Amino acid sequence: MTDIVMEARNVYKNYGKLEAVRNVSMQIRKGDIKLIFGPSGSGKSTFLRCMAMLTMPDKGEIYLGEQCLTKPGVDLNKARARIGFVFQHIYLFRHLTALGNVELALRQVLKLPKEEARARALAALKEVKVTECMNKYPNQMSGGQQQRIGIARAIARNPDIILLDEPTSALDPELTGEVIDTLRDLAKEGTTMLIVSHEMPFAREVAEEMIFYDEGSIVETGTPVHFFNGPHSERAKKFMTRIINRTTRE
Amino acid sequence: MFEFVSQFAPWILQGLLLTVEITLFGVFLGLGIGTLLAIGDIYGNKVAKGVIAVYVEFFRGSPIFVQLFLAQYTVPTITHIPIDPYLTAFLVFGLNSAGYQKGYVKGAIETIFEDQMDAGLSTGMSRAQTLRHVILPQAFRIVIPSWTNEFCSLTKSTAALAYVGLFDLVSAGKSIAHITYVVLPVWLVIGAIYLAWITGFTKLMDIIYEKKKIPGIDLLMQ
Repeated sequence: MTDIVMEARNVYKNYGKLEAVRNVSMQIRKGDIKLIFGPSGSGKSTFLRCMAMLTMPDKGEIYLGEQCLTKPGVDLNKARARIGFVFQHIYLFRHLTALGNVELALRQVLKLPKEEARARALAALKEVKVTECMNKYPNQMSGGQQQRIGIARAIARNPDIILLDEPTSALDPELTGEVIDTLRDLAKEGTTMLIVSHEMPFAREVAEEMIFYDEGSIVETGTPVHFFNGPHSERAKKFMTRIINRTTRE
Repeated sequence: MFEFVSQFAPWILQGLLLTVEITLFGVFLGLGIGTLLAIGDIYGNKVAKGVIAVYVEFFRGSPIFVQLFLAQYTVPTITHIPIDPYLTAFLVFGLNSAGYQKGYVKGAIETIFEDQMDAGLSTGMSRAQTLRHVILPQAFRIVIPSWTNEFCSLTKSTAALAYVGLFDLVSAGKSIAHITYVVLPVWLVIGAIYLAWITGFTKLMDIIYEKKKIPGIDLLMQ
């Protein structure tokens, strides 16, 4: 028995000439909170999508626990049921209420009876503190509320890990706070998370490891303290300076 | 001048009934087959896409009268299997409508497809489950206005039934005009009946469209 929840081994993904993911390996243990950051367009989202097998890697292996997901014949739907995914652009089911969004997979994937699915969905909405919107449709809610529903939808199945793809970058600055609060709560509960984000104060507070990603591969890895005090690589140094300047300006 | 209306009311009603039945059945069958064709065209391999393209071109590109004629006379002659003419008419109208509705449904699916499919898969649902519970419920809402148009045009196409010996509204008009030598008033009445039925039904569809609208979204198709 290992406590490795997910692992990527030498993963590659190209889009034509663009190498979005180039020989990336990563291990995530139970309770880990890792944060991937780096310039936009560097392939971070593609790598995260590969982890959830929403995008098929060209080469390399993805493991969920002991199971290799990149082998042919694997039931990917079953695997994805154990992985929570939160999208940058939220992607709620537009024709369903908040409650419906969270309930759907509980009913269809876990095959829970109606009452139980409802109770679990309500508990998830409570956890992200949006029970007041449970009967609203996505377009009747603010971006922050929508993204918290997105998080509720991801955690309701009690997945082994939650992958979050820039969960706050599509939101107005005044709405990012409420989503960050929700993520902080999840972190406190020991949820295993791999987060692509540029929220540096948040990273400093909750991340055990930060991963600087550029041009399709991992450039440097370290604790938040390491990155804030002075990373080794030139590229990470430049990026940190830019981001810290921006944050203090705000 | 309009005495024929009461005199021949049973004929007119009989004709109207067939027109209404064939249209409603055709639109529903067309939606079912059209949806399958749309899914096949999005997911299918080259062969499936090719077959679907030929199907659509045949049913959209040839007059429905020719399709009816082939089904009613030529197919039974070749296969030596007698088919009920009403059943044949139902099927031809359904298959014909599917040729058009495939396009409507495919277009609607494509406007919502990518992000909603990703969202569905990310929760552990299969592609089929996501189609069934997420994509089609949204696509059908978008299709309602096109569906209303399809209903209008299919209703009027039923006039072709008169040429293969089935008693629709136009057949009723022809028979009445033939017997009474009253022509213009007959066609005015027949025309008014089409107009009333189509107007009533489209109003109903408009109400359904409003009711089924997803709250907070004024226009899904942007």
